[in-house]
Amino acid sequence: MKTRTCLRVNGTQYEVPPSFSGRRLLDYLRSALGLVGTKEGCGEGDCGACTVLVDGTPMCSCLLLTGVLDGREVTTIEGLPEAFLSQFAAICTEYGAVQCGYCTPGIAVMAAWLRDGGNDMNDEPVSKLFEGNLCRCTGYQQLIEALTALS
Amino acid sequence: MVWASQHGEPQQWAWTGGIDEWRLVDISDKQVRIGAAVTLAQAVRFRELRSLISAVIDGAAVVGSVQLRNQATLVGNVCTASPGGDTLPGLYVHDAMVEVVNAAGSRRSVKISEFLCAPGKTNLAPGELVTGLTLCGLAPHEGSTFHRFTQRNALDLAIASVAARVRFESDGQTVAQASLALGAVGPTVLDVADAAALLVGHALEPSRLRQCAALAAESCRPITDHRASQDYRRQLVQTLTMDVVAAAAARARGSIAMTL
Repeated sequence: MKTRTCLRVNGTQYEVPPSFSGRRLLDYLRSALGLVGTKEGCGEGDCGACTVLVDGTPMCSCLLLTGVLDGREVTTIEGLPEAFLSQFAAICTEYGAVQCGYCTPGIAVMAAWLRDGGNDMNDEPVSKLFEGNLCRCTGYQQLIEALTALS
Repeated sequence: MVWASQHGEPQQWAWTGGIDEWRLVDISDKQVRIGAAVTLAQAVRFRELRSLISAVIDGAAVVGSVQLRNQATLVGNVCTASPGGDTLPGLYVHDAMVEVVNAAGSRRSVKISEFLCAPGKTNLAPGELVTGLTLCGLAPHEGSTFHRFTQRNALDLAIASVAARVRFESDGQTVAQASLALGAVGPTVLDVADAAALLVGHALEPSRLRQCAALAAESCRPITDHRASQDYRRQLVQTLTMDVVAAAAARARGSIAMTL
Protein backbone atom coordinates (compact mmCIF):
# COMPACT_ATOMS: atom_id res chain seq x y z
CA MET A 1 0.00 0.00 0.00
CA LYS A 2 1.43 3.31 -1.09
CA THR A 3 1.42 5.96 1.59
CA ARG A 4 3.86 8.63 0.39
CA THR A 5 2.67 11.43 -1.86
CA CYS A 6 5.16 13.70 -3.60
CA LEU A 7 4.03 16.55 -5.80
CA ARG A 8 5.36 19.79 -7.23
CA VAL A 9 3.68 23.06 -6.35
CA ASN A 10 4.72 26.12 -8.35
CA GLY A 11 7.95 24.38 -9.33
CA THR A 12 8.98 23.20 -5.86
CA GLN A 13 8.91 19.53 -4.90
CA TYR A 14 7.05 18.63 -1.67
CA GLU A 15 6.34 15.46 0.25
CA VAL A 16 2.82 15.60 1.64
CA PRO A 17 2.67 14.88 5.40
CA PRO A 18 0.44 11.81 6.04
CA SER A 19 -1.96 14.02 7.98
CA PHE A 20 -2.81 15.88 4.74
CA SER A 21 -3.03 13.00 2.28
CA GLY A 22 -6.70 12.41 3.08
CA ARG A 23 -7.54 16.12 2.98
CA ARG A 24 -8.43 18.38 0.08
CA LEU A 25 -5.73 19.93 -2.07
CA LEU A 26 -7.22 23.31 -1.07
CA ASP A 27 -6.50 22.58 2.63
CA TYR A 28 -2.99 21.38 1.85
CA LEU A 29 -2.16 24.51 -0.17
CA ARG A 30 -3.58 26.95 2.36
CA SER A 31 -2.77 25.28 5.70
CA ALA A 32 0.39 23.27 5.00
CA LEU A 33 2.09 25.47 2.40
CA GLY A 34 0.62 28.84 3.37
CA LEU A 35 -0.44 29.51 -0.22
CA VAL A 36 -3.56 31.42 0.72
CA GLY A 37 -4.10 33.00 -2.70
CA THR A 38 -6.32 30.02 -3.54
CA LYS A 39 -9.70 30.79 -1.95
CA GLU A 40 -12.46 28.58 -0.66
CA GLY A 41 -15.88 29.73 -1.83
CA CYS A 42 -18.58 27.09 -1.97
CA GLY A 43 -16.42 24.02 -1.29
CA GLU A 44 -18.61 22.08 -3.73
CA GLY A 45 -17.01 22.79 -7.10
CA ASP A 46 -19.56 25.41 -8.16
CA CYS A 47 -17.83 28.76 -7.69
CA GLY A 48 -14.32 28.24 -9.09
CA ALA A 49 -12.60 30.47 -6.49
CA CYS A 50 -10.28 27.55 -5.64
CA THR A 51 -9.25 26.86 -9.27
CA VAL A 52 -5.66 25.64 -9.70
CA LEU A 53 -3.86 23.99 -12.61
CA VAL A 54 -3.01 20.30 -12.25
CA ASP A 55 -0.51 19.35 -14.95
CA GLY A 56 -1.69 22.48 -16.75
CA THR A 57 -5.42 21.66 -16.57
CA PRO A 58 -7.81 23.81 -14.50
CA MET A 59 -9.53 21.97 -11.67
CA CYS A 60 -11.31 22.84 -8.42
CA SER A 61 -8.89 22.20 -5.55
CA CYS A 62 -11.82 21.71 -3.17
CA LEU A 63 -12.72 18.51 -5.06
CA LEU A 64 -9.27 16.93 -5.14
CA LEU A 65 -7.87 14.63 -2.49
CA THR A 66 -4.21 15.58 -1.93
CA GLY A 67 -3.13 11.95 -1.69
CA VAL A 68 -4.14 11.18 -5.29
CA LEU A 69 -1.81 13.80 -6.72
CA ASP A 70 1.44 11.85 -6.43
CA GLY A 71 3.80 12.92 -9.20
CA ARG A 72 1.55 15.74 -10.40
CA GLU A 73 2.44 19.41 -10.93
CA VAL A 74 0.16 21.99 -9.30
CA THR A 75 0.17 25.69 -10.22
CA THR A 76 -1.61 28.22 -8.01
CA ILE A 77 -2.08 31.96 -8.41
CA GLU A 78 1.27 32.40 -6.58
CA GLY A 79 3.01 30.40 -9.34
CA LEU A 80 1.79 32.49 -12.30
CA PRO A 81 4.46 34.60 -14.02
CA GLU A 82 4.85 38.12 -12.64
CA ALA A 83 4.53 39.65 -16.12
CA PHE A 84 1.18 37.95 -16.69
CA LEU A 85 -0.15 39.01 -13.28
CA SER A 86 0.80 42.66 -13.93
CA GLN A 87 -0.93 42.61 -17.29
CA PHE A 88 -3.98 40.87 -15.81
CA ALA A 89 -4.17 43.41 -12.96
CA ALA A 90 -3.87 46.35 -15.38
CA ILE A 91 -6.67 45.08 -17.61
CA CYS A 92 -8.94 44.26 -14.66
CA THR A 93 -8.42 47.79 -13.35
CA GLU A 94 -9.08 49.35 -16.74
CA TYR A 95 -12.39 47.48 -17.20
CA GLY A 96 -13.54 47.56 -13.56
CA ALA A 97 -13.47 43.78 -13.48
CA VAL A 98 -12.54 43.49 -9.78
CA GLN A 99 -14.53 44.58 -6.76
CA CYS A 100 -14.15 42.45 -3.64
CA GLY A 101 -11.48 40.33 -5.31
CA TYR A 102 -12.44 36.97 -3.80
CA CYS A 103 -13.09 35.29 -7.16
CA THR A 104 -10.09 36.94 -8.83
CA PRO A 105 -7.36 34.33 -8.12
CA GLY A 106 -9.50 31.59 -9.70
CA ILE A 107 -10.22 33.79 -12.70
CA ALA A 108 -6.53 34.70 -13.06
CA VAL A 109 -5.61 30.99 -13.11
CA MET A 110 -8.24 30.32 -15.81
CA ALA A 111 -7.01 33.32 -17.82
CA ALA A 112 -3.41 32.07 -17.61
CA TRP A 113 -4.54 28.64 -18.81
CA LEU A 114 -6.31 30.20 -21.80
CA ARG A 115 -3.34 32.42 -22.62
CA ASP A 116 -1.11 29.32 -22.67
CA GLY A 117 -3.37 27.76 -25.28
CA GLY A 118 -4.93 25.30 -22.83
CA ASN A 119 -8.28 25.51 -24.55
CA ASP A 120 -8.40 23.51 -27.76
CA MET A 121 -12.13 24.12 -28.27
CA ASN A 122 -11.29 27.59 -29.51
CA ASP A 123 -14.73 28.34 -30.94
CA GLU A 124 -16.07 28.76 -27.40
CA PRO A 125 -16.91 32.32 -26.33
CA VAL A 126 -15.20 33.77 -23.24
CA SER A 127 -18.49 33.68 -21.32
CA LYS A 128 -18.69 29.90 -21.82
CA LEU A 129 -15.05 29.27 -20.86
CA PHE A 130 -15.51 31.15 -17.58
CA GLU A 131 -18.82 29.42 -16.78
CA GLY A 132 -17.18 27.81 -13.74
CA ASN A 133 -16.09 31.07 -12.09
CA LEU A 134 -18.82 32.87 -10.19
CA CYS A 135 -18.51 36.58 -9.39
CA ARG A 136 -21.10 38.22 -7.15
CA CYS A 137 -19.84 41.79 -7.59
CA THR A 138 -19.22 42.78 -11.17
CA GLY A 139 -22.29 41.36 -12.87
CA TYR A 140 -19.93 39.63 -15.34
CA GLN A 141 -20.06 42.18 -18.16
CA GLN A 142 -16.86 43.95 -17.02
CA LEU A 143 -15.17 40.59 -16.51
CA ILE A 144 -16.11 39.33 -19.96
CA GLU A 145 -14.86 42.57 -21.54
CA ALA A 146 -11.57 42.42 -19.60
CA LEU A 147 -10.98 38.76 -20.40
CA THR A 148 -11.80 39.31 -24.06
CA ALA A 149 -9.29 42.17 -24.15
CA LEU A 150 -6.69 39.95 -22.49
CA SER A 151 -7.07 37.07 -24.97
CA MET B 1 -15.45 14.58 -2.01
CA VAL B 2 -18.08 17.08 -0.88
CA TRP B 3 -19.73 14.43 1.27
CA ALA B 4 -16.33 13.42 2.68
CA SER B 5 -15.32 16.97 3.58
CA GLN B 6 -18.61 17.48 5.37
CA HIS B 7 -18.30 14.21 7.31
CA GLY B 8 -14.68 14.50 8.44
CA GLU B 9 -11.53 13.14 6.93
CA PRO B 10 -11.79 9.72 5.24
CA GLN B 11 -10.01 6.97 7.19
CA GLN B 12 -9.48 4.80 4.14
CA TRP B 13 -9.59 5.60 0.48
CA ALA B 14 -8.41 4.21 -2.82
CA TRP B 15 -7.65 6.12 -6.02
CA THR B 16 -9.03 4.37 -9.08
CA GLY B 17 -8.28 7.18 -11.52
CA GLY B 18 -4.84 5.73 -12.30
CA ILE B 19 -5.97 2.25 -13.41
CA ASP B 20 -4.86 2.01 -17.05
CA GLU B 21 -7.77 -0.16 -18.21
CA TRP B 22 -10.22 2.36 -16.77
CA ARG B 23 -8.68 5.26 -18.66
CA LEU B 24 -9.28 3.78 -22.11
CA VAL B 25 -11.80 4.49 -24.84
CA ASP B 26 -12.13 1.51 -27.20
CA ILE B 27 -13.94 1.67 -30.49
CA SER B 28 -14.50 -1.52 -32.45
CA ASP B 29 -16.93 -1.34 -35.33
CA LYS B 30 -19.91 0.56 -33.88
CA GLN B 31 -19.32 -0.59 -30.32
CA VAL B 32 -17.83 1.98 -27.94
CA ARG B 33 -16.34 1.14 -24.55
CA ILE B 34 -15.56 3.96 -22.14
CA GLY B 35 -13.55 3.22 -18.99
CA ALA B 36 -14.66 4.46 -15.58
CA ALA B 37 -11.77 6.94 -15.23
CA VAL B 38 -12.43 8.75 -18.54
CA THR B 39 -13.36 12.34 -17.73
CA LEU B 40 -16.17 14.25 -19.41
CA ALA B 41 -13.60 16.64 -20.94
CA GLN B 42 -11.67 13.72 -22.44
CA ALA B 43 -14.87 12.25 -23.90
CA VAL B 44 -15.91 15.61 -25.39
CA ARG B 45 -12.48 16.15 -26.98
CA PHE B 46 -12.48 12.66 -28.55
CA ARG B 47 -13.63 13.53 -32.09
CA GLU B 48 -14.76 10.04 -33.09
CA LEU B 49 -17.12 9.91 -30.12
CA ARG B 50 -18.94 13.03 -31.35
CA SER B 51 -20.08 11.22 -34.47
CA LEU B 52 -20.61 7.81 -32.82
CA ILE B 53 -22.47 8.75 -29.63
CA SER B 54 -23.51 12.34 -30.37
CA ALA B 55 -26.32 12.53 -27.80
CA VAL B 56 -24.01 11.41 -24.98
CA ILE B 57 -21.37 13.97 -25.95
CA ASP B 58 -24.01 16.75 -26.20
CA GLY B 59 -24.81 15.97 -22.55
CA ALA B 60 -21.18 15.57 -21.42
CA ALA B 61 -20.35 19.01 -22.86
CA VAL B 62 -22.86 20.82 -20.61
CA VAL B 63 -22.27 19.14 -17.24
CA GLY B 64 -21.06 21.65 -14.63
CA SER B 65 -18.19 23.80 -15.89
CA VAL B 66 -14.78 23.60 -17.58
CA GLN B 67 -13.10 22.79 -14.25
CA LEU B 68 -15.65 20.15 -13.28
CA ARG B 69 -15.55 18.41 -16.65
CA ASN B 70 -11.76 18.10 -16.24
CA GLN B 71 -12.31 16.14 -13.03
CA ALA B 72 -15.69 14.45 -13.35
CA THR B 73 -16.15 11.18 -15.23
CA LEU B 74 -18.93 9.83 -17.41
CA VAL B 75 -19.28 6.83 -15.10
CA GLY B 76 -19.46 9.24 -12.15
CA ASN B 77 -22.42 10.96 -13.80
CA VAL B 78 -24.09 7.55 -14.12
CA CYS B 79 -23.39 6.49 -10.51
CA THR B 80 -24.73 9.79 -9.14
CA ALA B 81 -28.06 8.57 -10.56
CA SER B 82 -29.58 12.03 -10.65
CA PRO B 83 -32.92 12.04 -12.53
CA GLY B 84 -31.57 15.07 -14.40
CA GLY B 85 -28.04 13.75 -15.13
CA ASP B 86 -27.10 15.35 -18.45
CA THR B 87 -25.41 12.31 -20.00
CA LEU B 88 -28.12 9.84 -18.99
CA PRO B 89 -30.82 10.30 -21.69
CA GLY B 90 -28.08 9.99 -24.33
CA LEU B 91 -26.80 6.80 -22.68
CA TYR B 92 -30.34 5.38 -22.84
CA VAL B 93 -30.74 5.98 -26.58
CA HIS B 94 -27.28 4.50 -27.13
CA ASP B 95 -28.29 1.32 -25.25
CA ALA B 96 -25.57 1.67 -22.62
CA MET B 97 -24.54 -1.41 -20.66
CA VAL B 98 -22.91 -0.78 -17.29
CA GLU B 99 -19.95 -3.07 -16.50
CA VAL B 100 -19.76 -4.04 -12.84
CA VAL B 101 -17.12 -6.01 -10.93
CA ASN B 102 -17.23 -7.20 -7.32
CA ALA B 103 -14.50 -7.75 -4.74
CA ALA B 104 -14.20 -11.43 -5.71
CA GLY B 105 -13.51 -10.36 -9.31
CA SER B 106 -16.71 -11.64 -10.89
CA ARG B 107 -18.19 -9.37 -13.53
CA ARG B 108 -21.70 -8.57 -14.66
CA SER B 109 -23.18 -6.26 -17.24
CA VAL B 110 -26.40 -4.35 -16.57
CA LYS B 111 -28.66 -2.33 -18.87
CA ILE B 112 -28.56 1.34 -17.86
CA SER B 113 -32.34 1.35 -17.34
CA GLU B 114 -31.94 -1.45 -14.78
CA PHE B 115 -28.82 0.05 -13.23
CA LEU B 116 -30.58 3.32 -12.32
CA CYS B 117 -33.28 2.53 -9.76
CA ALA B 118 -34.36 5.80 -8.14
CA PRO B 119 -32.97 9.30 -7.47
CA GLY B 120 -29.45 8.70 -6.13
CA LYS B 121 -29.93 4.92 -6.14
CA THR B 122 -28.26 2.37 -8.41
CA ASN B 123 -28.44 -1.41 -8.30
CA LEU B 124 -24.81 -1.72 -7.16
CA ALA B 125 -24.42 -4.14 -4.27
CA PRO B 126 -21.91 -3.52 -1.45
CA GLY B 127 -18.40 -4.36 -2.67
CA GLU B 128 -19.21 -3.69 -6.32
CA LEU B 129 -17.60 -1.10 -8.61
CA VAL B 130 -18.41 0.15 -12.08
CA THR B 131 -15.45 -0.38 -14.43
CA GLY B 132 -16.89 1.15 -17.60
CA LEU B 133 -19.73 1.50 -20.07
CA THR B 134 -20.39 -0.18 -23.40
CA LEU B 135 -22.41 1.80 -25.91
CA CYS B 136 -24.00 1.15 -29.26
CA GLY B 137 -22.67 3.77 -31.69
CA LEU B 138 -24.50 5.29 -34.64
CA ALA B 139 -24.84 3.44 -37.94
CA PRO B 140 -24.98 5.12 -41.37
CA HIS B 141 -28.22 7.11 -41.92
CA GLU B 142 -28.49 7.54 -38.18
CA GLY B 143 -28.19 10.54 -35.83
CA SER B 144 -28.68 11.30 -32.14
CA THR B 145 -29.05 14.53 -30.16
CA PHE B 146 -29.57 15.68 -26.57
CA HIS B 147 -31.12 18.99 -25.57
CA ARG B 148 -31.85 20.33 -22.11
CA PHE B 149 -33.55 23.39 -20.74
CA THR B 150 -32.04 25.33 -17.84
CA GLN B 151 -32.67 28.76 -16.35
CA ARG B 152 -28.97 29.68 -16.45
CA ASN B 153 -26.53 28.87 -19.22
CA ALA B 154 -23.96 27.26 -16.94
CA LEU B 155 -23.67 25.35 -13.66
CA ASP B 156 -27.37 24.65 -13.69
CA LEU B 157 -29.44 21.50 -13.52
CA ALA B 158 -31.91 20.63 -16.25
CA ILE B 159 -35.57 21.46 -15.73
CA ALA B 160 -36.24 18.92 -18.45
CA SER B 161 -34.10 17.20 -21.04
CA VAL B 162 -34.65 14.89 -24.01
CA ALA B 163 -32.40 12.65 -26.12
CA ALA B 164 -33.48 11.22 -29.48
CA ARG B 165 -31.93 8.76 -31.88
CA VAL B 166 -33.29 8.44 -35.42
CA ARG B 167 -32.28 6.10 -38.24
CA PHE B 168 -33.61 6.53 -41.77
CA GLU B 169 -34.13 3.91 -44.45
CA SER B 170 -31.70 4.25 -47.35
CA ASP B 171 -34.26 6.58 -49.03
CA GLY B 172 -33.34 9.18 -46.38
CA GLN B 173 -37.04 9.89 -45.75
CA THR B 174 -38.68 6.99 -43.97
CA VAL B 175 -37.80 6.49 -40.33
CA ALA B 176 -36.48 2.94 -39.84
CA GLN B 177 -35.81 3.13 -36.11
CA ALA B 178 -36.24 5.71 -33.36
CA SER B 179 -35.71 6.00 -29.63
CA LEU B 180 -36.44 8.73 -27.12
CA ALA B 181 -35.42 9.22 -23.50
CA LEU B 182 -36.55 11.95 -21.10
CA GLY B 183 -34.53 13.40 -18.22
CA ALA B 184 -35.54 15.29 -15.07
CA VAL B 185 -39.23 14.44 -15.52
CA GLY B 186 -39.41 11.21 -13.50
CA PRO B 187 -37.56 9.39 -10.70
CA THR B 188 -35.08 8.10 -13.28
CA VAL B 189 -34.67 8.72 -17.00
CA LEU B 190 -37.79 7.60 -18.87
CA ASP B 191 -37.53 5.53 -22.03
CA VAL B 192 -40.62 6.53 -24.02
CA ALA B 193 -40.60 3.76 -26.61
CA ASP B 194 -44.29 4.18 -27.48
CA ALA B 195 -43.80 7.80 -28.49
CA ALA B 196 -40.71 6.93 -30.54
CA ALA B 197 -42.56 4.05 -32.24
CA LEU B 198 -45.03 6.57 -33.71
CA LEU B 199 -42.21 7.83 -35.96
CA VAL B 200 -41.22 4.45 -37.40
CA GLY B 201 -42.31 3.63 -40.93
CA HIS B 202 -43.21 7.24 -41.77
CA ALA B 203 -41.56 10.38 -43.04
CA LEU B 204 -40.94 13.04 -40.38
CA GLU B 205 -43.93 15.25 -41.19
CA PRO B 206 -44.79 18.01 -38.70
CA SER B 207 -48.10 16.37 -37.75
CA ARG B 208 -46.40 13.07 -36.89
CA LEU B 209 -43.67 14.86 -34.96
CA ARG B 210 -46.36 16.70 -32.96
CA GLN B 211 -48.14 13.43 -32.21
CA CYS B 212 -44.91 11.88 -30.98
CA ALA B 213 -44.07 14.90 -28.81
CA ALA B 214 -47.59 14.92 -27.34
CA LEU B 215 -47.33 11.26 -26.35
CA ALA B 216 -43.86 11.85 -24.83
CA ALA B 217 -45.28 14.71 -22.75
CA GLU B 218 -48.21 12.55 -21.70
CA SER B 219 -45.91 9.68 -20.68
CA CYS B 220 -43.62 11.70 -18.42
CA ARG B 221 -44.01 11.91 -14.65
CA PRO B 222 -42.63 15.30 -13.59
CA ILE B 223 -42.75 16.81 -10.12
CA THR B 224 -43.23 20.42 -9.03
CA ASP B 225 -40.22 21.88 -7.21
CA HIS B 226 -38.28 25.14 -6.87
CA ARG B 227 -37.05 24.84 -10.48
CA ALA B 228 -40.36 24.45 -12.26
CA SER B 229 -43.92 23.21 -11.98
CA GLN B 230 -45.16 19.86 -13.16
CA ASP B 231 -47.20 21.45 -15.88
CA TYR B 232 -44.33 23.62 -17.15
CA ARG B 233 -42.04 20.58 -17.32
CA ARG B 234 -44.65 18.65 -19.30
CA GLN B 235 -44.93 21.46 -21.85
CA LEU B 236 -41.14 21.66 -22.04
CA VAL B 237 -40.95 17.94 -22.85
CA GLN B 238 -43.27 18.51 -25.78
CA THR B 239 -41.20 21.39 -27.18
CA LEU B 240 -37.84 19.72 -26.50
CA THR B 241 -38.98 16.47 -28.14
CA MET B 242 -39.97 18.31 -31.34
CA ASP B 243 -36.59 20.09 -31.41
CA VAL B 244 -34.46 17.12 -30.53
CA VAL B 245 -36.04 14.70 -33.02
CA ALA B 246 -35.61 17.27 -35.78
CA ALA B 247 -31.97 17.83 -34.74
CA ALA B 248 -31.23 14.08 -34.62
CA ALA B 249 -32.84 13.71 -38.07
CA ALA B 250 -30.68 16.52 -39.43
CA ARG B 251 -27.58 14.75 -38.11
CA ALA B 252 -28.79 11.47 -39.64
CA ARG B 253 -29.19 13.23 -43.00
CA GLY B 254 -25.69 14.65 -42.53
CA SER B 255 -24.39 11.13 -42.12
CA ILE B 256 -26.26 10.15 -45.29
CA ALA B 257 -24.48 12.92 -47.15
CA MET B 258 -21.17 11.75 -45.72
CA THR B 259 -21.65 8.11 -46.72
CA LEU B 260 -22.71 8.87 -50.30
